[in-house]
Amino acid sequence: MTKPEPAALFTTQDWSPRAFISWRGLLLGLAGVFSLMLAYRSYQQVFGWSAGLDATDPAFDTYWMNLLKGELVVLTASWAGLWSYLWFTRDRALSQLAPREEIRRYLNLIFFIFVYAFAVYWTGSFFAEQDAAWHQTVVRDTPFTPSHIVLFYGTMPLFVLFGVGSLLYAMTRLPKFAERLSLPLIIAVAGPFLILPNLGFNEWGHAFWLMEEYFSAPLHWGFVVLGWSVLALGGLLVQILQHLLDAIRRAELQAGGLDDSLADPQPAAGP
Amino acid sequence: MTKAVGPEAGGEYIEIYGVRWSRWAAKLSAQVDIIISLIIVLAVTAAFHLHFMLLAGDWDFWVDWKDREYWVTLTPIVAITFPAALQYVLWEKFRLPIGATLAITGLMVGAWIARFFGFHLWSYFPFSLVWPALMIPGALVLDCVLLLTGNFFITAVIGGMGFAVLFYPSNWPMLAAYRLPVEVMGSLVSVGDYIGYAFTRTATPEYLRFIERGTLRTFGGHSAWVSSAFAGFVCVLTYLLWWHIGMLLSRVTTLPNRWRHLFGYPRERPPQTASPAVPRDAS
Repeated sequence: MTKPEPAALFTTQDWSPRAFISWRGLLLGLAGVFSLMLAYRSYQQVFGWSAGLDATDPAFDTYWMNLLKGELVVLTASWAGLWSYLWFTRDRALSQLAPREEIRRYLNLIFFIFVYAFAVYWTGSFFAEQDAAWHQTVVRDTPFTPSHIVLFYGTMPLFVLFGVGSLLYAMTRLPKFAERLSLPLIIAVAGPFLILPNLGFNEWGHAFWLMEEYFSAPLHWGFVVLGWSVLALGGLLVQILQHLLDAIRRAELQAGGLDDSLADPQPAAGP
Repeated sequence: MTKAVGPEAGGEYIEIYGVRWSRWAAKLSAQVDIIISLIIVLAVTAAFHLHFMLLAGDWDFWVDWKDREYWVTLTPIVAITFPAALQYVLWEKFRLPIGATLAITGLMVGAWIARFFGFHLWSYFPFSLVWPALMIPGALVLDCVLLLTGNFFITAVIGGMGFAVLFYPSNWPMLAAYRLPVEVMGSLVSVGDYIGYAFTRTATPEYLRFIERGTLRTFGGHSAWVSSAFAGFVCVLTYLLWWHIGMLLSRVTTLPNRWRHLFGYPRERPPQTASPAVPRDAS
């Protein structure tokens, strides 16, 4: 077996993690989501009790319905903006993608999923349980309550933005996700996404059956089943790691810095 | 575990658990591991908390709902689900015996944060009314059984039982004070019930109307242990089911993409499903 010569690429190119990882993008995404959540929670604290108890009160219209209308405009614009940007700037020659660039894109995808998971946390844990704190205390006289306007029309569309965004990013920029559809990715994005249309049933049920406010009511179980789909992130992360490992090996092969033992990842011989 | 093997083309190689890596790839991989761990913590906290609050949340929210029968039965059955699924993923794929503890800790942290910012700061309830139940001891037992046996069936039987039976005693030190009797307007109630009366929840059913019936009062504390044993039985079955749900959802499955030509790939040729009845070249 002939060993490869030391490759010029390894001496001229940057192979440190910072050549592949864009921390700035991740931190910006997390800071943006956190700032928005902080703003929502502060708004609820200030205007929940003072203007959010009676849907027929003009103050309710001013402080809550206007927020809802603003959210609907912004969420539609952000969905259309991000998703069409990802689609129209897609890579049309994925079969020729260099492995180094592929590694960089896998890390971008992981960051996209990170921001998605962060947004899902605020929705599924923080604001969802806070919804019980509000509705078991205050009688609801409208589907658009101070809790719902933030939870259902603020934080949920936000995680949908990043969820569908990560699906589109993967399919338009990574060869393995473009060639074949990843079922874990589709489940991890589509399940939580379907929580949004399930809201229609939830609100219809609350209005029709005049339900007592307890969270474990069967009306809510659709949210539970759809929430289980987040577990498919496990399969997705395993898939990404497999592909990433493969891209790392190809990058080394291309740079000429890989011997046969690394090309085929077997345990090294010897003690 | 990790040692430098020596400089070769492109940099040093190191060995991690017997597998050779170049140093740059190992560094990158270590950073990816950290990011992925954080994603798992966030995702599990969100999904598990949503699942738990919508199936057993009411009993966890309020101290007067923490009764001797439903709370003791329902909570472990609902709470063993994600630990089982996560144990499958972390044990089978990564040999990490921390799935149950990770899931339950995520749930507890998520619940405490929401209790503080939601129930306490926004709805102004005291913590004596809204503290969440503790499930970490049962989760530790579940992980220990899996670590010691390496067998999901034994973990289901012994760990599942342990998870359920430990739930009530784990919470007893926090709960005991709220079970003391007190007389309110001529009626005998518990301290927990009285706190519930004092802090009005206008839209929620009173728990006494909802649940306290049959011989529950007569049997007193004994019904809690019967409920624990019943929860243990159901937990064994729930664990087995959710271990397999974890298996199903963490499977890497892909399907052909019919629109791959939009990304620069050649169009897929349609599969030949039929052969001509008469060969064309037959003469």
